[in-house]
Amino acid sequence: MTGPSDEPTFEGAQRELDAIVERLESGEASIDEAIRLWERGEELYRFCLAKLDRAQGRIEELARAARDDAAQREPA
Amino acid sequence: MKIAPIEYGDRKVYTVAAFNRGVADWLARLPTLWVEGEVTELRRHTGWQSVFFTLKDPSDGACLPVTMPRGRFEALRLDLADGERVHVFGRPELYEARGDFRLRALSIERFGLGDHLAALERLKRKLAAEGLFAPERKRPLPRFPRAVGLVTGNDAAAKRDVVSTLAARFPPAHVVVAETYVQGPRAAAAIVQALRGLAARPDVDVIVVARGGGSFEDLLPFSDERLIRAIASSPVPVVSAVGHEQDTPLCDLAADVRASTPTAAGRLVVPDLGELLEQLDRDRGRLARAAQRTLARERDRLALVHERLRRAPALALERKRAALAQSAARLRALSPRATLSRGYAIVRTDDGIVRSPAAVRPGQPLRVEVAEGEFGARVE
Repeated sequence: MTGPSDEPTFEGAQRELDAIVERLESGEASIDEAIRLWERGEELYRFCLAKLDRAQGRIEELARAARDDAAQREPA
Repeated sequence: MKIAPIEYGDRKVYTVAAFNRGVADWLARLPTLWVEGEVTELRRHTGWQSVFFTLKDPSDGACLPVTMPRGRFEALRLDLADGERVHVFGRPELYEARGDFRLRALSIERFGLGDHLAALERLKRKLAAEGLFAPERKRPLPRFPRAVGLVTGNDAAAKRDVVSTLAARFPPAHVVVAETYVQGPRAAAAIVQALRGLAARPDVDVIVVARGGGSFEDLLPFSDERLIRAIASSPVPVVSAVGHEQDTPLCDLAADVRASTPTAAGRLVVPDLGELLEQLDRDRGRLARAAQRTLARERDRLALVHERLRRAPALALERKRAALAQSAARLRALSPRATLSRGYAIVRTDDGIVRSPAAVRPGQPLRVEVAEGEFGARVE
């Protein structure tokens, strides 16, 4: 996970999650490692989901603003 | 020759003859030159020494009396008639007896429409050879000109067409109009001056040269070499909108864009604001939808990976379990119990497993292990 800020990016988290799933599915991990990976994977999943939710909220906000603008221009 | 005035006190007065003589002398010093015009009022009488006609400027009707010695005129065998276009080579002179100014012709050449066309064609080839009409010279028009320069006649419908089209399509458009002669002998130089004046303004990003059609003669200034060079060297793109049907004025070839009419020129130089706003709204809608789609795609992908993640540990455990079972089976296969089940027995003393009769003595107690258990025995 790279990026100038402390917070990881969505893409970085997603890449790590993909790698974890592949490692787990390969069956090469030890039991202890598998459990550690799984916990980390869940953590990454929750992080990504929260990011998507925030983005969704922002998009809906913008779309509402756009509709308001259009509605204001119509009667003119 | 010295012209002497009569002196009445301090007033110097010339006789009519002296005045005419003075002017005639002065005129005689002017060089010989070519004048172009249309022949009218041609008068030739067998008894006269000279032939007379009036040379008329077809664009504004200006007139110039011309005279030519009859013998010389006849020798040309031109068979001229009124209305014909000619080039007259001669010098200005004053007919002193009457104070009439006129052009004394030394030679006359017919110069009709065909000659005009030929001259135009020569000019066109020359300028084309210099690359003035080359497609790679054409510049794109600015999308949003800060100001549109317009060169046009002062009462021209062309001007109205361009201005009203600009206002309808792009209300904030700023138009700088340079009114000028668009016809007649002064037109070419005047158009060049108007064009340069507009191009020098820092806010003018494109210039429209507009004229609402006209005869071949009317449009001649728009093929003038000076104008063609001015258009080609203009620092801002030029749109030519000189209405015409068949003949292409050379300015059309030198301009960066040629418009079929002044109205079409107006449409070319500014975008349609209403259309732009609509497009912008459409783009905004597409933007929102694209963002939603991206989000939905990422959400699906995440859900899929999460599902795999959720199953992975159980899957891994299951595999470990299977591997363990396999090991256990192999272990079991290697154990001696498998041999006992085939009927073999293990015999032990307190010292350990018996492998030789020498290791036991008669009466010694033994333990015998078979597949399903153990029992005691004694050596005989």
